[in-house]
Formats: sequence, C-alpha cells, structure tokens
Amino acid sequence: MIPDDPEELNALAGEYVLGVLDGAQTSEIASALPNNAALRRAIIFWEERLHPLAALAPPVDPPAETWQRIAERIDSAEPAAMVLPFWNRAAPWRWAWAVSTALAACLALYIAFAPAARGPSFVAVLHPPQTEQAAWVATAGDNGLLVRAIATAAAPNDRDFELWAIAPNASRPQALGVIPPSGSLELGALPAVIRQGGTLAISIEPKGGSPTGQPTGPVVFSGPLVAAR
Amino acid sequence: MAEATIAELSARELVEAIREGDRASLQRLYALEARRLYGIALRIVRRPDMAADVVQDVFVQVWRNARTFAAERGDAQAWLTGITRYRALDVLRKRRREVLSDDPALGDTAEEPDVIERIEQAAAQSALRKCLDELAERERRCLVLAFVDGLSHSELAQRLGAPLGSVKSWVRRGLLLLRRCLEP
Repeated sequence: MIPDDPEELNALAGEYVLGVLDGAQTSEIASALPNNAALRRAIIFWEERLHPLAALAPPVDPPAETWQRIAERIDSAEPAAMVLPFWNRAAPWRWAWAVSTALAACLALYIAFAPAARGPSFVAVLHPPQTEQAAWVATAGDNGLLVRAIATAAAPNDRDFELWAIAPNASRPQALGVIPPSGSLELGALPAVIRQGGTLAISIEPKGGSPTGQPTGPVVFSGPLVAAR
Repeated sequence: MAEATIAELSARELVEAIREGDRASLQRLYALEARRLYGIALRIVRRPDMAADVVQDVFVQVWRNARTFAAERGDAQAWLTGITRYRALDVLRKRRREVLSDDPALGDTAEEPDVIERIEQAAAQSALRKCLDELAERERRCLVLAFVDGLSHSELAQRLGAPLGSVKSWVRRGLLLLRRCLEP
C-alpha cells in the first residue's frame, strides 16, 4: 500500500531511494509510479537531495570494452521509438518506454514455461517502467498465448489489468483481454496482431476492461516479443 | 546546438540531445559519466564484472528512456545516479537470493572513515552536509551506508550490531529530520 499521508509518503520514498526496501516493496513502488505524481515528486526530491552522497564512491575506470558492448546492444535492438511512435504523444504511455531486453531472463523463462511439444515462437518479459525487474512472462506461438504473473500481482482496488498488443509499426494497440485475478491469461489461438512479433503491454483499466477499446489508464508493464527460435 | 561543440555540453544538454536520437551525444555522455557511474555501481555490487554489466544496462536504458527524463526533474546527473543505483541494487538483491552469504565479497567491511569529513570534501557547499551534521550519528551512518554501499535494513543491523527494529526506526527518523531540514 502506498500511503496518502505526505509524511509517510516521503519516508517511504526516501527508503525506496536509499534502497533499504525488499524486492517486493520496491516492485510495488515501481508499479505505482506511473499513476502517482506525489510519489514521483517525493522520489525525485530524495534522488536530487541525496545525490551528493554518491561522490563518496570514488570514480573508477570501467573495463575498456564497456562502450563497445553498449554500442552493440543499441545497434542490435530495434529502437523503441520506431516500434511505438504514438506512445510519445499520449501522456500515460510515456512510462512504457522502459522496454527492456532482458534476453537472458527471456531464455531462462522460456525454458521454464515452454510446453514440451510445439513450443511457442515468441517470449516476452514484461517490466514496470524504470526497472528491469521481470513481473510477467508471456509465451506465444502455435498453441496460443499465455501470460502469467511471476510474482503475485494485483490490480488496484476496483480496477483490472488489461493486456494489449502492438504489432510492429502499428499505430494503435489492440486489446487482447482483461487479465483475471489469478494473474494468468490464456488465449487458445495466436492473435493475428502479434504474428510477426511486436510488443505486449499491460494497463490499468476500469473493472471489465477499457470502455473505449483503447488504453485509458497508465501502462504499468511492457516488454517486446522476442523470437524464441 | 549549432554553435556549441558536443564536447562542451552538460549532462543535461546531452540527455536532451539523446532524446532526439543523437548517438554521438550518448557516447559523449559515456565519456563524461562512465567513471563516476562505474564507481557507484562497483561500490554497491563489489564485483567488477557485475558493475560493468550495470553500466552497460544504464547507458542502454538511457538511450531508450531519455524521454522519461521528464520536465519534473532538474538534475540529469542525479537522474543517472538514480538509474545506476537502482540497477546495481537489483543485481545485489538477485545475488543475495542466489548466493546467500557464501560469497566472500559480501562479507567485506567497506572502509568507513569519518563520514562527515568525507562529505565535506565531496560536497562542501551542500545543504545536505549541514543537515546530515544535525542528525544523530547512528541515523547518519544508516543513511550513508544504505545510499553509498547499498546495505539493506538487515545488513545495516548486522553492520551496526543493533536490532533490526531499531535500525528501521533510525532510517525513518533520519529521513524525516533530513527532509524537514532540507525543505526550503
């Protein structure tokens, strides 16, 4: 629970910035961020005020090949800006830019979740913005689409999580369905919209799903579909 | 940025150029900030290979997420510090789960000279220094050890030889007093 009381909120934000909270509390705050401007402000306050303390860690030369590795990773990944041009314009979508390429995590999870027979041809790991901590995993292929929460995930009171797909180069997301409280959504057939890959995203919507057919709430998790074979 | 050469740009101006997809600005930002950020990550994860991975992730994330450097922020360096620390703390949490306390590196006691003196060198003009000075020593040590070394509540308790509950309330109290002192 993110407190409303300003003093409590500030203390919690400070603990988050210090890094003393455990993984579950940290994830909870990260997923609340898109929706909570007071929380964002409190965190930015601490990040900016405590920043001088970082000078206590002496600068050290990173290994020589580090920049090369960064350049390679940037070149090998499709820039998010090209996949999702419209996210930039709709404010709630801005937080969804944190599309991550946790390829190692993808592969580990793919092995863990892949059915024995005809495996999926895509996997996706969905993260909250601002952190690469995996929150949902999706597998998609001939058997259909399966999305599961990795940790226990609950939508805020009186709200539902809704799953969306954005095809490569598409300008609008397509609704795939409201995720049941069990935290697992299964579709029997592979939605045409992601036959060529694309991006999955989860937004917070009114109970029963978005009334407009387009996301109305913030995108709290997203991740690219990566070809698994 | 027609007139200024790219070498003269500040971290903030570079982030703004990266937002527009300027790759050269990212490389310049790396040249400007990588040593500092690697030092921060190394201090938290304590392993050069892991710290290098953190720095890689940070710059890839900056490239993709420069747009989330929102107008509500003023300080690009603080933003970069934050991304680096959160990433390093993520790595540290994962490692804690995987290796528990078997890793000898986790047992290292980081040198901890007089904190105030070192903050004085690092941030002579900072309001933070003055405000930290007003805290009780145990509160100050909790905040500094958590921020700089990435210690969790239970690691703070171990380091300070104090009960977990006391450490939690020192952190809270330290934050509350600090906030009151820092707020304009």
